[in-house]
Amino acid sequence: MSTTIDVAESSHNNVSKGKATIVGTPKRPGGWKKGVSIMDFIVRLGAIASTIGAIATMANADQTLPFFNQFVQFEASYDSFSAFQFFVITLALVSGYLVLSLPISIVAIVRPHAVGPRIFLIILDTIFLTLATSSAGAAASIVFLEHNGEQDPNWLAICNQYGTFCMQTSEAVISSFLAVVSFIIIIIINTLALGKH
Amino acid sequence: MSSTIDIVPESSNVIKGKAPLLGAPQRPGGWKKGLAIMDFILRLGAVAAALGAAATMATADQTLPFFTQYFQFEASYDSFTTFTFLVIGMALVGGYLVLSLPFSIVAIIRPHAAAPRLFLIILDSVFLVLATAGAASAASVVYLAHNGNQSSNWLAICNQYSDFCNQTSGAVVSAFIVVVIFMFLIVMSSLAIAKKH
Repeated sequence: MSTTIDVAESSHNNVSKGKATIVGTPKRPGGWKKGVSIMDFIVRLGAIASTIGAIATMANADQTLPFFNQFVQFEASYDSFSAFQFFVITLALVSGYLVLSLPISIVAIVRPHAVGPRIFLIILDTIFLTLATSSAGAAASIVFLEHNGEQDPNWLAICNQYGTFCMQTSEAVISSFLAVVSFIIIIIINTLALGKH
Repeated sequence: MSSTIDIVPESSNVIKGKAPLLGAPQRPGGWKKGLAIMDFILRLGAVAAALGAAATMATADQTLPFFTQYFQFEASYDSFTTFTFLVIGMALVGGYLVLSLPFSIVAIIRPHAAAPRLFLIILDSVFLVLATAGAASAASVVYLAHNGNQSSNWLAICNQYSDFCNQTSGAVVSAFIVVVIFMFLIVMSSLAIAKKH
């Protein structure tokens, strides 16, 4: 059994060889991917604010006690602690990256279905998430020691004397953990937008 | 102008309702299958590193050969809250990695499915943060143990407890290996999701 199909071309004047108008490929509507990209951009702005806040608070953490003895004046500042120096430098790198990634995030808003910008953002976000978390964790460890001390190596809790310094460093660490949470949110957002075709 | 299309006569085997039902043809795995296999192998390596870090830290113990009338000089991992956090964190990370091995095997068998990889990326990010926070805070305390801190009068205990110091440093290095492996896992899974072919 064989079948034949008759295809009749229209004799309309417009549709002849070489004269049909070219309209351009129709754009797919952005849909939920565009909304998710906008949320990514906003969370990125929030992460920039919290990292810069953390750097500013930590760099200004300084306290000199009003008494002194013959040999030394009692002062604590952020550069007495290597972990806090590491914290400031690393978070500066992280906030620089976040600022530079804003244009790529905007490209992901404008072209929600493009794969390239999102993959780039996910890979770099993972690297800088690790950097941000390690700096926050190291500083949190020192802040914990400041508050509680350790009995066996006889490390005293300096928060009892240096109250202002303690409070400033604790606030900086909390702010940096907000940045870490923001990073996780943007990685998950970009992954979901990438995975669903 | 009209055109006709001739359809080739149907064969006698393929009569309505009697054609053999073959399964959907499997697309060849290609590079995605290779990535999935490497993901599985890296996961096994990360299990070894995480459990190694937890075990090394948990057995870190040193008692000095001299003692005074009141107490004996001993350092163990539970003298330091941060080291306890590292042991618990690495145990959780090791447990998660073992439980994620089946999902990794599913990703090998079905290289083009996005759902297992998506699930793994999201959970990997969460446990990456846990591993990095534990590793970084333990590294901070190990640094203090090696160098001490002058302005807070925290003495460097590594000078007396050298074996304890070596064991804890080794555990921290192993924890950072877990962190690096996690980063590779996340990047590989997102590359496999992003590219359709």
